Amino acid sequence: MKIITCMKWIPDTSEAELSIASGGKDIKKDDLDYDLNDWDRFAIEEAVQLKEKYDGEVTAISVAPEDAEEMLRECLARGADEAFQIWNDAFEGSDGFVIARALAEFIRKRPFDIIVTGTLAEDDGGGQVGGMLGAMLGVPSATLVSRIEIADGKARFRRELEGGLYENIEMELPAVISVATGLNEPRFVSIRAVRKVASIDIPTVDLDELGLDESQVGHSGSRISVEKVFLPPEGEGAEIIKGSTEEAAARLAEILKEKGVL
Amino acid sequence: MKNIYVLAEHRKGTLRDTTWEALAAARTLAPQFGAEITCILLSNDASTISDRLVQEFSKVIAIEDPSLETFNSDACIKCLVSILGDKSDYLLLMGNSNSVIELAPGLSITLDAALATDCFGFDVVDGALCALRQIYSYKVNALVSFKGAAKMVATLRSGSFPFTPTAQAGGSVEKMESPLKSEKLRKVFVSYEEAEKGDVDISTAEIIVSVGRGIGDEPDMDVYQSLADTVGGVLACSRPIVDKNLLPKYHQVGTSGIEVKPKIYLALGISGAFQHVGGIKGSPLIIAVNKDARAPIFRVAQYGVVADINDMVPALEEKIKEIKG
Repeated sequence: MKIITCMKWIPDTSEAELSIASGGKDIKKDDLDYDLNDWDRFAIEEAVQLKEKYDGEVTAISVAPEDAEEMLRECLARGADEAFQIWNDAFEGSDGFVIARALAEFIRKRPFDIIVTGTLAEDDGGGQVGGMLGAMLGVPSATLVSRIEIADGKARFRRELEGGLYENIEMELPAVISVATGLNEPRFVSIRAVRKVASIDIPTVDLDELGLDESQVGHSGSRISVEKVFLPPEGEGAEIIKGSTEEAAARLAEILKEKGVL
Repeated sequence: MKNIYVLAEHRKGTLRDTTWEALAAARTLAPQFGAEITCILLSNDASTISDRLVQEFSKVIAIEDPSLETFNSDACIKCLVSILGDKSDYLLLMGNSNSVIELAPGLSITLDAALATDCFGFDVVDGALCALRQIYSYKVNALVSFKGAAKMVATLRSGSFPFTPTAQAGGSVEKMESPLKSEKLRKVFVSYEEAEKGDVDISTAEIIVSVGRGIGDEPDMDVYQSLADTVGGVLACSRPIVDKNLLPKYHQVGTSGIEVKPKIYLALGISGAFQHVGGIKGSPLIIAVNKDARAPIFRVAQYGVVADINDMVPALEEKIKEIKG
């Protein structure tokens, strides 16, 4: 079985303090750590587990700048057989449509049974690439998938609906499956495992190999464009309790008492 | 844009609130563009559902087909293309539900439309529609343009567009032939499945102590269970905690987990992504502790402390024990 998995390299913003960059169209990213998108960590793990269960090969792909090579190296250490890095500086500022298009052009020339992606990325939260990629390649797609089995050339999977409800779906292959977080336990990657794949070449792929030109990627190739970013006003909403840990804890305990909890 | 289409969403024969929220958004936008609002209903039994729709929409386009009983994105794309494929100058609005999350990206490619997902508001800049979204872990707002596209699709964040029924539309239903009859679908619905039930039911708990990513990579869960016991509540969590197998799924609060309505919700190290906040809307008192002053949880909480929960939790339990004596 030929499995392709698409990875995204994003700044870790979940716990970081963020500020707006000059120009007002993005945040300052210089001080942020970059890492594999959390959803995609579950995607590569699922791709590798499918390979281990049904036999096959895993190819990891990312549209990402030079620094992201370490992420693709980590994908190899996680069990991918090969990895490709698509990049040209013109990709800077691309929306989900452009990323899907670049991936589609690359994948079009390669046979595959399943493409596994994460449903969302925490940076733009768009959730666009998986479904778009499927439509561009003319194959069906599914998102928020939390269990996958393959039988008789079909994928049987479970996807999340709201309120603790799931639906079980049967889908023809080839297809794109975008996974939910938590569907597996991503394996621990040791330094030794990374060293073992240190010599594997990760080819870079430029625009000409995709048959795309600079105007078709980045801002100019995107279908939507960020005009302005801004931080929501701080302190909007909650009454913030100040003071030392001790003082704040005492005040919280008092509030709980006032509300009749204690 | 000349037309705003609203996709009616239904599950198990009942219309979902996302339908009405999308209509609420359409009603604020339509006058600004002089646009006409039309509902699109794709279902196995249009007559039952359309009765309610025509009270609010003056025009409903309906396609009936047995395979539209559940939300099949493959079938929905084919139907929406048969309705919208030859049209231009429109905006299609849909709720950003877990079903639409699957439908919208592929649909936008097939329709050749510009797509903005999970929008919580709209703005008009120089006569052009722009969407408001949240990016970077939902901590930054972004104003996004459709770059002058004549075909636009937007999906809407639940809870962002409150709806007031008028029940005065007196609309009509135009039935269109199903394009699905001769075609085999690549995807078929097999069954629904309910999440596993556990030894605690957080949906009925009056006091909930809930933990999120802020507890760190190797947390001592006993610390939080102990606090929950001391306040006489139950322990719950946000999604990352279940993803890491620190607590079972039936402890997860949120739209894809369990919706809770406790008297007091104590959110510890929870940033407050909208999926989580969607699950605590019914709680009258939310108290949040988070080390990030800009965490979205503070926007829905009544009281907040900007602190590391590893310091705050033991201190709080100590103070509570003092009061209880």
